[in-house]
Amino acid sequence: MYKKILSAVNEHINSEIAARYALNLAKACKAKLYLCFIAEKDTSPTSIEMAENAIKRLFIMAREMDIKVESITATGDPLKEIEKIVKHEAIDIAFAATKREDIEKRFYAGTFARRLSLNLSCSVALVRVVHIGRLHPNKLLVPLKGGDGHIKERAHFIAKMAEGFESKVFVFHATKPITKFFHGEIHITPLEWEKRLPENIAEFMRHLKKHKIEYEGKLLPGAVARSITIEAASKRHDLIIMGASERSLLSSILKGNPVEAVLREAPCDLIIFKPYNENK
Amino acid sequence: MKINNLTKEEVLQNLVTSENGLTEEEAKKRLSEFGLNEIEEAKKTSLFIRFLKQFTHFLAILLWIGAGLAILSEILHPGEGMLTLGLAIIGVIFINAVFTFVQEYRAEKSIEKLRLLLPFYVKVIREGIEKELQAREIVPGDLIILSEGNKVPADSRLIDTTYLMLNNASLTGESEPMPAQHKPCEGEIIESRNIAFAGTTVVSGSGKAIVFATGMGTEFGRIAHLTSAVESGLSPLQKEIVKATRIIAFLSTVMGVLFFFIGHLIGIGFWENFIFAIGIIIANVPEGLLPTVTLSLAMGSQRMAKKRALIKTLTSVETLGSVTVICTDKTGTLTQNRMEVERIWTIDNQQSTIDKLLKIACLCNNARFINGEYKGDPTEVALLRYARENIGDIKSERMHEIPFDSERKRMTTVNKILDTPSLYAFTKGAMESLLPLCSQILVNGEKLPMDDASRKKTMDAYHSLMDKGLRVLSFAYRALEKGLDSSLEKDMTFVGLIGIEDPPRPEVSDAIEKCHDAGIKVIMITGDASRTAVAIAKEIGLIKGNPVVVEGHEFVSMHDKELREKLTEKEIIFSRMTPKHKMRVVSILKEEGQRVAVTGDGVNDAPALKNADIGIAMGIAGTDVAKEASDMILLDDNFATIVNAIEEGRAVYENIRKFISYIFSSNIPEIVPYLAYILFRIPLPLTIIQILAVDLGTDMLPALALGAEKPTEGIMKQPPRDPKERLLNFKLLTRAYLFLGPIEAAAGLFGFFYILKSGGWQWGDVLAANNLLYMQATTACLTAIIVTQVANVFACRSFREPVLKIGFFSNKLIFIGIAFEILLQIFIVYHPWGNMIFATAPISFNIWLILIPFAIFLFIAEEIRKVFLHQIYHT
Repeated sequence: MYKKILSAVNEHINSEIAARYALNLAKACKAKLYLCFIAEKDTSPTSIEMAENAIKRLFIMAREMDIKVESITATGDPLKEIEKIVKHEAIDIAFAATKREDIEKRFYAGTFARRLSLNLSCSVALVRVVHIGRLHPNKLLVPLKGGDGHIKERAHFIAKMAEGFESKVFVFHATKPITKFFHGEIHITPLEWEKRLPENIAEFMRHLKKHKIEYEGKLLPGAVARSITIEAASKRHDLIIMGASERSLLSSILKGNPVEAVLREAPCDLIIFKPYNENK
Repeated sequence: MKINNLTKEEVLQNLVTSENGLTEEEAKKRLSEFGLNEIEEAKKTSLFIRFLKQFTHFLAILLWIGAGLAILSEILHPGEGMLTLGLAIIGVIFINAVFTFVQEYRAEKSIEKLRLLLPFYVKVIREGIEKELQAREIVPGDLIILSEGNKVPADSRLIDTTYLMLNNASLTGESEPMPAQHKPCEGEIIESRNIAFAGTTVVSGSGKAIVFATGMGTEFGRIAHLTSAVESGLSPLQKEIVKATRIIAFLSTVMGVLFFFIGHLIGIGFWENFIFAIGIIIANVPEGLLPTVTLSLAMGSQRMAKKRALIKTLTSVETLGSVTVICTDKTGTLTQNRMEVERIWTIDNQQSTIDKLLKIACLCNNARFINGEYKGDPTEVALLRYARENIGDIKSERMHEIPFDSERKRMTTVNKILDTPSLYAFTKGAMESLLPLCSQILVNGEKLPMDDASRKKTMDAYHSLMDKGLRVLSFAYRALEKGLDSSLEKDMTFVGLIGIEDPPRPEVSDAIEKCHDAGIKVIMITGDASRTAVAIAKEIGLIKGNPVVVEGHEFVSMHDKELREKLTEKEIIFSRMTPKHKMRVVSILKEEGQRVAVTGDGVNDAPALKNADIGIAMGIAGTDVAKEASDMILLDDNFATIVNAIEEGRAVYENIRKFISYIFSSNIPEIVPYLAYILFRIPLPLTIIQILAVDLGTDMLPALALGAEKPTEGIMKQPPRDPKERLLNFKLLTRAYLFLGPIEAAAGLFGFFYILKSGGWQWGDVLAANNLLYMQATTACLTAIIVTQVANVFACRSFREPVLKIGFFSNKLIFIGIAFEILLQIFIVYHPWGNMIFATAPISFNIWLILIPFAIFLFIAEEIRKVFLHQIYHT
């Protein structure tokens, strides 16, 4: 499914870590990796040097892992340039790192990461780097919601990431508790919850099984974002991979946005995966 | 591949740093990316918002609407007293909001206490220069310098060490310092000896380390996140109160609207009808319930404090009573943590071998005897005391030590015994760690090869001692003829075993039995070996059959599903566990619908304490972080205190039901006058303000006194409350609404009509609100409710037992409550201020006397009902 993978690299270490995830996917998919650095007009020479060094290090890693790799360096508006590369090279998936300042904005409105995920004509994986010491994630936490579509591609992405790192996948679904006006919250045991597993999540697990990926499923009632971060922290997960929850501004203000909240409180690295055409 | 598996060069490469540290520019970039190295609290609803929420729930909204309409009515029809009513309703909303908030409020300081464990300054190398920076400015990739006395600022991989010893007590609870090293290690990061974790302390030596996680990314941050992010949610009692208020609010609204339309159909004017609808709602709502519940919980917490259980959140008082599972530590909670040597074993049972064994126990020991006092770890103190008492002091010089750590499970010292030429390596530790090091065994002063037969005998003795509930240590030595070398722990000579007893607390057996009778499951979670844990559990009566024993290493590899199944077993013990495992046990039990209490003392117990329904911290052995994260602190660290607190918690719930029954009984005489007013077109027998006088005034102290009733005899013989059992159940409502309430209503209407008739009132006469006869009549109605409520308070002291059986005078607070109730009523009836506020007028003493037979009737009728019920129950 992924034959050409692009990773945007710059002078920040988080972009290098994001590219390492891309390297891992490229290894699992036997895909070609494109490392691109787009220098803006005001980029300082030191920053350019740092980015070039990062690309050099990634090149060495790619060579050691026997991955085909190509670097593209250009100047101009990073978004426009990356859009061009994606179209020109027919990229299947692009990796980019989110910055700390991005997560301080409401659903990182107007940020580079946000614009990338909306405009690129390929799937996008936005990486939030929290913990650079977890070099090789053993436990992947995959929160899914009932309405998540593009299950086949999601499962493929997760399966390949897991395959690359030889890690175990923990599928997690935090759902709204069942409440009745006069009875309040009704307690349901995990076994009973399993029977209420949404079909798309069951399908996702079937795909993982097809890919021969070791997985465990868990379904719990509770506040989505908080449940995810607590699960990740308590079970010491190394990486969270979740979908981008495209909520309207009004809905985000009223109900909150789980992705935003997880971005802020994730105890480990987080990849927000957006399949191509998800919102089209 | 993990950071602990890498060589120094690989660490530097992966973290993109160098032996000269980061450049200032790179550090600045990383600081902007990873943020400050600080422990942050998970985002939570602010106190102010939580307080505001008390004004927006269903019942509050209903009352706001009532108040709004009353004020609107005052604007449109001034002079009807509706403004006072509107303000009174707003007062009710505020009183309820404040008391609910007080119940929920809890000062959260665990994160503050965690922050105190991190350093303020740290030495770091940047651009090849050593600098001192604020610890909060450290970033991943920084090269830090560690020396004796330093606190580690962030999770770091050691790349250079010189005799570095770290104390991880703040993280693991392990009090012994651990030697650290910089070489690559296999296994999990958390157990790695080449990692220095944030919040730990350098005991001795020095080292350099590369930071790989800062702030909330560290292990410490993980604990902080779990401690602050886990929200306790509503307690069982709060959930029940929410359900009850919804039912009440719904019923009052339906009744208000229904009778509004009936009134409209029979031609009553809009405003008259409106007052009636508001009155029905006010009469239905038990305004005094929340203040009484809150004060009753506060009184319960005071009683628990006297029993050495300090309650931090008021609602925990009742939650304790609903606990179905207690997960408890062993050492210090079930046992006395007063170690004593109980058994000694050597293969030949010769005095010379025993003396050798005691010599090792004395010298391979860090406890000290100073100024007539033993100081040190309780196990080591027990060994030293026993050795000194039996073989006296030994003069020796310690040349070297390999300290104890939980991974090696042994310690070794090298000693030069004075007046002898040779050096000796003495080792003590767990059998599984020490036996493989021994190639010989000491028999009758001779070193014989450790053959299979000797090994079997040794193992049998080891098992036999553990089966007696003893903590068993094994001892070996080696003469170092060539001086100190690198093979200290090779080819050792096995000498013997010492079994140490940590006696169970004397009161624990009874407490465990009480738990069994009360249907509460007790799960022991201990770091001890399985056999020792099982033996102790048997001794204290925790287990009777063959329990399921889950060891730490099995636990780690077990799937949640498997663990879930194990936890359904009747008897289960977790052995060789560390505190970090508790959170998982608690989570699974909670997911299965259990109400869980868990004990803990260390920093890493905090998440489990926070996650449990009741987190119980140890007052003596507990860290500040554990105490802050808990709901209850045991001042004596004693398991029996938990059980006493549970008994008190159950009594509190039962008492809450008693005073709910009492409060709800007075709703009927408050509602019936309104129904009579609308259906029979009589003057309104009880005004809204007079209803509030009962609900928020006279009823309060007697209800509180009911909250202080002692636990009934069989309270710990019943299974824990079924979560499906409602606070307002059918039985309780039937008793209050259909039995006690109607008697009070009859008394009220009798008083009202008695005055009216005596004053010459004729059916159909309309009386003004300020008419003296009318005011006296409503006063009589109110007095009748108070008089019958005096009898009702005795009736509600028990659901099944007659008052004489539980002791008429056994609760002195009842009499104080009644005295208050009567004095307040006297004020309302006879004081001009009381008359002004409550629109009452003085009535003659005769009226009180006329009403008393109703009270006597209510009391006798209830007692007969109880006797009748008692007989049915026992049949």
